Amino acid sequence: MILKLAYKNILGNGWRSLINVIILSIVLTGMIWMQGLYDGWGRIARRQMIAWQFGSGHYEQVNYDKYDSFTLDKSNAALSPEMEKQVADGKAVPILYSAGVIYPQGRMTPVVIKGIPTQQSILAIPTEYLKIADKSAPVIPVIIGKQMAKSTRLSEGDQFTMRWKDIYGVFNAYDVVIAKVMNTPVPTTDVAQVWMDYDKLNEVKALNNSATLIVLKDKPVNSDLGSDWRYLSTDDSMAGTDAMISAKRVGGYVIFTLLLFLAMVAIFDTQILSIFKRRKEIGTLIALGLTKRQIIRLFTLEGTLYMLLGTVFTGIFGMPLFLYFGIKGYSMPVDVSSYNIAGMSDSIKCYYSPIMIISTFLIVMLVTVFASWLPTARIARMKATDALLGKV
Amino acid sequence: MSKILIETKHMTKYYPTGEGKFTALQDINLSFEKGEFAGLVGPSGSGKTTLLNIIGSLDTQSEGEVIVLGKEVSTLSARQSAALRSKHIGFIFQTYNLLPVYNVYENVELPLLLLKMSTEERKKAVMEALEWVGLTDKLKSRPNQLSGGQGQRVSIARAMVKKPQIVLADEPTANLDTENSLHILDTMLKINRETGTTFVFSTHDQKVVNYLNRVITLVDGKKAKDDLKVSV
Repeated sequence: MILKLAYKNILGNGWRSLINVIILSIVLTGMIWMQGLYDGWGRIARRQMIAWQFGSGHYEQVNYDKYDSFTLDKSNAALSPEMEKQVADGKAVPILYSAGVIYPQGRMTPVVIKGIPTQQSILAIPTEYLKIADKSAPVIPVIIGKQMAKSTRLSEGDQFTMRWKDIYGVFNAYDVVIAKVMNTPVPTTDVAQVWMDYDKLNEVKALNNSATLIVLKDKPVNSDLGSDWRYLSTDDSMAGTDAMISAKRVGGYVIFTLLLFLAMVAIFDTQILSIFKRRKEIGTLIALGLTKRQIIRLFTLEGTLYMLLGTVFTGIFGMPLFLYFGIKGYSMPVDVSSYNIAGMSDSIKCYYSPIMIISTFLIVMLVTVFASWLPTARIARMKATDALLGKV
Repeated sequence: MSKILIETKHMTKYYPTGEGKFTALQDINLSFEKGEFAGLVGPSGSGKTTLLNIIGSLDTQSEGEVIVLGKEVSTLSARQSAALRSKHIGFIFQTYNLLPVYNVYENVELPLLLLKMSTEERKKAVMEALEWVGLTDKLKSRPNQLSGGQGQRVSIARAMVKKPQIVLADEPTANLDTENSLHILDTMLKINRETGTTFVFSTHDQKVVNYLNRVITLVDGKKAKDDLKVSV
């Protein structure tokens, strides 16, 4: 009965109900869309990082510190026979890092030189361009990314000098040619990175089948590879990106918390106005045999019904928006390729998980119920005889 | 054998004011039997509505006893008090107090929803109540589409639909013209005679007084007269 009464009252409230429902619907749509955007971004970033950099997990040489370039030249260890077999079976790909400097058109640019086997298929880097047909040729083919090409003003076919130190501290230099400028969405495989053949880098560094990273195709059954290596899962590798997305998400939350607050003010206001306007009705309902608690429940339910109707509106009017951004994706309004943030180079396809939708709905629902219930304290204080006379 | 439905014993009602208290009703001793068509008359501020509200358990006395259907109303919990009203007491108000978002049928049906009756039972009772007041052709009308007289008749149907033992009518004709007032009074008298429902009015309308079989006069919160009339 209370439900029927609440439903009737909402219909009877006319345009005021409609405005509340529309505001709630906008808030709900915005919150779901925003979270879908961040979740979609996280998924794309993860997918791209797996495809271009980390695979399904990787081993890192224990001396390697990604925040300290001075560790690069001592961050290598020889592959164990077990790991060599995995590489041969196509289940792992070793990558050797070296600090280096390039001199394009006479300018000096510090880089990280990365050696990767040309026949690998685990990472999306087009390593087939790194094949050296003539081992005695004086020019080594290398790959750089689009951002790197832009910042150094280099393009395919350009030659320049690249210098590095071998493990004995002896400087060495070669001329290299850009065999391919790759379009990678992962900045850490692009910016200040030069990719070359793994064997050649080992050779010129006076190393033998040594690597800094061993990227895996599948998650390892046993992640212990001895004291030279530490294992990092995809989650470990994604921690930085995830933290950045979370920080961005918090910024989004602030905006939608404000919107939610405005929606709640609208509901609170409607409830206060409704209680004031309907005090005679409240008195009549008490006279007919409703308890104050039932009337409080009625008013709270009315507020909650706004939320449910808002959800229906969101389903009807928000769905095309959700589908559009889920299928077509959201393109950043400005060129963000130079921001060097994973997952942002392509349009971001929103991802709406059921858990996210349900949790967003529940949060808005709880806040709505609270905002609907809060003004009903006036009803509890109301005297039936005063209410019948239209007094508060 | 007469059956007393309402009884007040040395009942006093006062309201605290800034300096002391204002006494609205003082030492009221009354009883109403089943089937009475009685009225509380008196000038404004004499305590008529206050007495009706206390009898209807919408308010409580400050001193004395008020026993309605064997229950001392001031000792009832909010739930028991609501149950007493929903099952046994019908209210008719001066301004009808119909719910504006409901149509006539739904307004009359409302008390039955509280009693958790089945749809069929509700339908039968609502139609019967609307037949009493002659409004079966206005089922779908909203309160704002009704005349004053029609609105009050819906209010009577709403009060009567659950077949209460007591109907409390607070100035039911105050907003009506003579023709409608007489029509309303005829309807209520007919219901009183057919069902034996006890009607207690508060009024200062002479037309109503003419219909009553008992007139209790209140002056300044005190019972001044209690006249029993033979017949209307």
